[in-house]
Amino acid sequence: MSASVAGPIRLPTVRDLASERRVMLAFLIWGFSALMVGAAIGPLQALNYGGIDAYPWLRPVLQSYYQGLTVHGVLNAYVFTFFITCGLLVYLPVRELGLAPNMLLWRACFATMAIGTVLLLVAMFDNSSSVLWTFYPPLKGSPLFYGGMSLVVVGSLFPLPILLELRARWKARRPGELTPLVTYMSTVTMLMWLLAAGGAIIELLVQLLPWSLGWRDTVDPIVGRTLFWWTGHPIVYFWLMPAYVSWYGLLSKQIGGKLVSDPMARLTFALLLVFSLPVGSHHQFTDPGFSPVWRGILTALTLSVALPSLITAFTIGLSLEYAGRRRGGRGLFGWFVALPWRDPSVAAQVLAMLTFIWGGAGGIVNGSWQLDNLIHNTTWIPGHFHITVGTASAMTFMGVAFWMLPHLTGRRLLSRRLSLAAVWLWFVGMSVFALGMHWAGLHGVPRRAWVSFLPHAVYERVYGAAHLPLTLVAIGGVVLWAATACFYVVFLGSLFTRRLDRPEPIPFAQAFGGSESFAIMEGEPVGIVAHKQLSPLARALEHMGALTALTVLATAAAYIPIFWPFLHNVTRAPGWVVW
Amino acid sequence: MSDAAHDPFEDAFHRAAERHERAWVFVAVTLLTLLLVGTMFFVVFDYGVVVRTDSFRADPAALPAAPAGLVQTGPGAYSVQMTGHLWAWTPSPLHVPQGATVTFHVTSTDVLHGFQIQGTTVNVTAVPGITGSATYRFAHPGTYNIICNEFCGIEHQAMLGRIVVEPATP
Repeated sequence: MSASVAGPIRLPTVRDLASERRVMLAFLIWGFSALMVGAAIGPLQALNYGGIDAYPWLRPVLQSYYQGLTVHGVLNAYVFTFFITCGLLVYLPVRELGLAPNMLLWRACFATMAIGTVLLLVAMFDNSSSVLWTFYPPLKGSPLFYGGMSLVVVGSLFPLPILLELRARWKARRPGELTPLVTYMSTVTMLMWLLAAGGAIIELLVQLLPWSLGWRDTVDPIVGRTLFWWTGHPIVYFWLMPAYVSWYGLLSKQIGGKLVSDPMARLTFALLLVFSLPVGSHHQFTDPGFSPVWRGILTALTLSVALPSLITAFTIGLSLEYAGRRRGGRGLFGWFVALPWRDPSVAAQVLAMLTFIWGGAGGIVNGSWQLDNLIHNTTWIPGHFHITVGTASAMTFMGVAFWMLPHLTGRRLLSRRLSLAAVWLWFVGMSVFALGMHWAGLHGVPRRAWVSFLPHAVYERVYGAAHLPLTLVAIGGVVLWAATACFYVVFLGSLFTRRLDRPEPIPFAQAFGGSESFAIMEGEPVGIVAHKQLSPLARALEHMGALTALTVLATAAAYIPIFWPFLHNVTRAPGWVVW
Repeated sequence: MSDAAHDPFEDAFHRAAERHERAWVFVAVTLLTLLLVGTMFFVVFDYGVVVRTDSFRADPAALPAAPAGLVQTGPGAYSVQMTGHLWAWTPSPLHVPQGATVTFHVTSTDVLHGFQIQGTTVNVTAVPGITGSATYRFAHPGTYNIICNEFCGIEHQAMLGRIVVEPATP
């Protein structure tokens, strides 16, 4: 225990802890409920690619494939991920630091996003806004859709001030020490998201909301699209970084080992902050309107953003190996087999990582300018993001839920076996689905197209060559249905099981060379605390303000030349409601 | 676990980890650099894949005056104004002689569309208000499908077109 503590520590009371747990549980339930609806619709889209059109039977709930796809994308990509992240990235630091957060702000975060979700649901289910999750103008959704989206995005920024205040309070008490790892990673993630969200907020509040309310007649499509991708690329790191928080900050403990490098975890997050922001327009390699020179620079920046993930592969891989060898694993792969695969939370996260290796490799193809021409907007792209956000992030969040539900409710997990079944089915289903999607993309099958609605002869003529991969897509979708069913039996069932004898602790990991936390939770020490010997790298990375300023500069440098021609050549496009 | 308790296995593992970590970062940076050099080489070497900007216009519906259909611009070189609109490509079917190098000037008069010729590198976003272009040489005869790959409304899946490459007469 460090002697540098200044003044008395006000430890959270039992009532504080209980109310924090309740709010976290609310985030978890709301987020996973969104995924439940979104994931239930998903396999219909997979069947669509297999040539099976289920939509005529779904009226009046869903009018079309495109309406279903809008619901699927918005609920899974925004609502699910935002709720889990905004809960987790406050709750974990709060517990790690042993301080009470600003509960009012945290509850306001929940309320704002929840109201936004309700507006989005109304706008999507009445088919007034089947504009898909990218909502590109001049397709024109209802004001409820853009209003709901604005609330969800703005609400998701509330954790940042909560974290900055917590960190400042902690640092004031322990001058000269490094921010504990989970708090560091969470704060950097939210700083990244603050800068990233700017694009969507400007697009929604300046362009789309006034236009959909009729205050303005026209919209500039390319400006909307570019603003969207300013947010739309870094958002993938807002999906991924919370999963990394669990991999770096918790998983090593769950597998009975240690995190092999705390400074590398910090470096990864700092690099993700800097590099994820300026690269959004690589989603626009095939768009006219800005100079090829910037596309080349975007390619270089995009490949740079692979570096932190490659570092993660090393650090986490080695942490797995350390634990595996400690558990008696021998030989080249024995350590991998020796991991505690019977623990569904561990199985979920390790399988998520395996999938992410392919996801990352595919991402490098997407980011390579030349190769992107072949696969841009084909099924390759959704194939890619279903094994990144759809597995690496989603399955990690499921893994977190498996320990967190018992931790929050004090009730046992309904069934370990069923949890394992959910995880393995998700892994197999998503792998088969993604293989089919990537492969079909190489045959030029476009993403998000209601191909099963085409006359059969046309479907065969244009996509017949992709018959095998498209069949894999459909099979993967059906397996995912089974995975979803298993998961939600466990998730919902675990809210009503019998009580545990003693509370489930948070598995905060310990790093090599790190000591355990001073923070106390119900009588036991938790969390990673600063190193005895401060690593110069980690010390340099403590300057989050400087990192943020650098990111702002890099982002401005990347975007000013891209926006410049658009601002000098304004297009006035009227809106279209054509679904 | 106290910090004082040194564990020989952990210490040895830690030392090995630090050595390999440096090697890994070096390998990763080298790999990414080579990938960058590779992709840029192909782009520069095959500049036709690059989407270039032709012109902007304020009113998406007001197309710039251009001759309809395929226009010969030089020996074996052609250009065509390709317009996406709800829900068709104009002109389609487009007849092209084998061996022709065709520059597609692509735009949209209403919402976003995606101009993709299946089985080729041609992939251009049809943006309302901007005309962009890409070039491709049709070396083999046959029929190519034009596929809209950007969501554009309820008939998006049916927004298909055709390019017929006529075999060269001997």
